[in-house]
Amino acid sequence: MKSFLSYLNIVWQIIRKDAQVEWRGRQGLPVMLVFALLIVFLFNFALQLAPDLQAGLAAGLLWVSLAFASTLGLNRSVSLEKENNALDGLLLAPVDRSAIFFGKVISNFGFTLIVALILLPIFSLFYGQNMLNLRLLIIIILGVGAYTSLGTLLAALSIQTRTRDVLLPVLLYPLALPILIAAVEASRGVLSGMPMKDLQSWYFLLLAGNILFIATGLMFFETILEE
Amino acid sequence: MDKRPLLLTLMNILAVVLVPAALIWILFFTPVEATMGPVQKVFYFHVSAAWAGMLCFLIAAGAGIGYLTSRQYYWDWLSFSAIEVGLVFGLIAILSGMIWAQPIWNTWWVWDPRLTTTAIMELIYLVYFLLRSGIDAPETRARLSAIYAIIGAATVPLTFFSIRLFRTIHPVVIAPGGSESSAFNMSPRMLIAFIGSLAAFTILLSSLVWNRFRLAYIHAQNQQEV
Repeated sequence: MKSFLSYLNIVWQIIRKDAQVEWRGRQGLPVMLVFALLIVFLFNFALQLAPDLQAGLAAGLLWVSLAFASTLGLNRSVSLEKENNALDGLLLAPVDRSAIFFGKVISNFGFTLIVALILLPIFSLFYGQNMLNLRLLIIIILGVGAYTSLGTLLAALSIQTRTRDVLLPVLLYPLALPILIAAVEASRGVLSGMPMKDLQSWYFLLLAGNILFIATGLMFFETILEE
Repeated sequence: MDKRPLLLTLMNILAVVLVPAALIWILFFTPVEATMGPVQKVFYFHVSAAWAGMLCFLIAAGAGIGYLTSRQYYWDWLSFSAIEVGLVFGLIAILSGMIWAQPIWNTWWVWDPRLTTTAIMELIYLVYFLLRSGIDAPETRARLSAIYAIIGAATVPLTFFSIRLFRTIHPVVIAPGGSESSAFNMSPRMLIAFIGSLAAFTILLSSLVWNRFRLAYIHAQNQQEV
């Protein structure tokens, strides 16, 4: 029990560190947020969207902007550690590396979730579609959870290549596709008022994605970072 | 330099004989399907190529696990050899499917989930080579590529389920209980052609992967000697 608590404490320290860096620098979250908004505006012109958007388009747009914005955050969360060799410091700490993984995943998850929470009312306003919906929030939590756990793992992988952060989106998007499909379909169902039981399989798929990517993270995070 | 193993020579010969033999059987000895006409004959090589591609990617993931547990470079060579060959087979599956889709669906491409996910799978493994080319140290390259090959294969079932949940217009050949309306029944000659091409492609892929593996092995040996 005591070792479990100290494990949780390490996870918490990582999250606290990331939050503190973000709070003092304010360099990650605002960029993610503005980027997400810009995507919304770009798509508005590119696709000539009407203000009363269909549920399908609104769900798709929400997830595209979330996925893109999240990539920025993921890149930053690891490139931050690469600067001044902070990563080496982290790795030298005599702690379980999976705790570092969990801490990173949770802080990335938190940042993306904050972006989502700010985007939801804005979407509702711009596209005449009430998106402040508890079921939609659950889908966002599940989808962002799976997406950021895969993303954190791949960001740790891409940082070791010569091309660095350029590579992350290319690594991430094809692998995250099933998660994005499930998230978009479930969100669309919720927004168009489909009953819960029709959407059940999408929820299961999202849950399976969470389990799979957290498990692969636990298995491989240490191997990725070994020197 | 090591001599080519006898089994590999046999497999090379077998592949060179079997693939044209399957083609001749398909062209001249299988009946023309009633509704689709001659274009249905694409099916034999199409499914075989898709199968061969899938098998290659599975081999690559298995070799990835092999590398991570043993840290022997030959697993890495096997992994990327299988992915190289798998990419070509995947491309054959997609292109032959397009040739079939043009007259049957009246379009070269539909954004049907199965087509889309096959294309995405090709992209996943194309990215594998982008990842490799970005890493200089051989040990890091082998380690990270192995991990990526495993994660790539692990997402395939997930993608597969996301396909099944959509309504797909892609024909289901091996349908549970044969109830699917888009499945068609194969006559014995068709079945021979189907199983024959599957066997021919399996031997072809094995010999290609093996040859590519040997090339990587010889390349590594030469680099050591220089």
